[in-house]
Amino acid sequence: MKTQTRSKILQIIQKSGGTRPSELTRELGISPQAIHRHLRYMVEAGQIEHRGRGPKTRYYIAGAPQLDQALHWCATVANPAESPRENLCETRDVFTARLSHLSALTKTGLKEEELPLVISVAGEIGNNCFDHNLGNWRDVPGCWFETQSTAGRLWICIADRGQGVFRSLNRVDPSIPDEQAALITAFEKTLSGRSPENRGNGLKFVRNIIVADAKRGIACRSGAGLVEYGPLGRDCRIELARYPDPPVGTMTLVLWGLI
Amino acid sequence: MKIDLKQYGAILTSRPAGREAALAMKTHVKPAGGEKIELDFDGVVSVGPSWLDEVLSALRQDYGRDRVICLPTKNLSVIESLKVIDI
Repeated sequence: MKTQTRSKILQIIQKSGGTRPSELTRELGISPQAIHRHLRYMVEAGQIEHRGRGPKTRYYIAGAPQLDQALHWCATVANPAESPRENLCETRDVFTARLSHLSALTKTGLKEEELPLVISVAGEIGNNCFDHNLGNWRDVPGCWFETQSTAGRLWICIADRGQGVFRSLNRVDPSIPDEQAALITAFEKTLSGRSPENRGNGLKFVRNIIVADAKRGIACRSGAGLVEYGPLGRDCRIELARYPDPPVGTMTLVLWGLI
Repeated sequence: MKIDLKQYGAILTSRPAGREAALAMKTHVKPAGGEKIELDFDGVVSVGPSWLDEVLSALRQDYGRDRVICLPTKNLSVIESLKVIDI
């Protein structure tokens, strides 16, 4: 019975992306005391973790990112005034400055020798947002750049409200049929959306880094397209696919194991 | 002659920054005769292939592929960047 209840709690948290104890009480029809007993056990077992305090406490799957704000921004927000400043880099200079903040990740478990790779991976993805959309944003200029470290996992989320990968690459190669094919081309072939300039190796570099280690993964969603690479790519795909509306531009999620 | 890349920043990632660095190098770097140009990554935190591609392409265009050398480094971002640039 206890196992069944805990399994249901896990399912609810997984589906919602973050749940309050009161919501679990209501949904499962058991007492608040019993819910808290289960939650305490599951936290100690490393299955879930809590964030926030008092009535604002929410429980999450351990090691999972909280992407609601980013997904919402990327898929639905159209008013620049609504964009949260703390995660939005309106210019490349701001993005570059925030890349240097990644050095602090070595204090949360990132190996010193891996820091250059994490910075260059994030740098290539974020700079792509500006390379392909400068002067051509749909509404909000810049990119969303957010990192979260939780339960030995580093998540890096970079998104933009630009033209999307398909529009960028289709201009250069009209034979690319759709958004899915455009994403595969971007990560696997040397074709630049800024032809005739000799470009197009940034995302191949990113893919090489990610697939080289069992504790890394990446997923990228642009319009109806969604690709994943690396052993943990599926975890990233699940998180990106959680939000039903496709991003208006491009959204990339990197997972980097810290342990 | 040696180019101390940390003079261009600790994090070297974007193409525009790479182009700017290459232009600055072209102004200041004047190797004598057949002297080689050595890029020294000591003190640089991270390098991306976009930045490095801009710099290497510009220098190689002026001085030839054989005269532009990346000095050995343990920085994994440099090692991995060179793998995708120098193919």
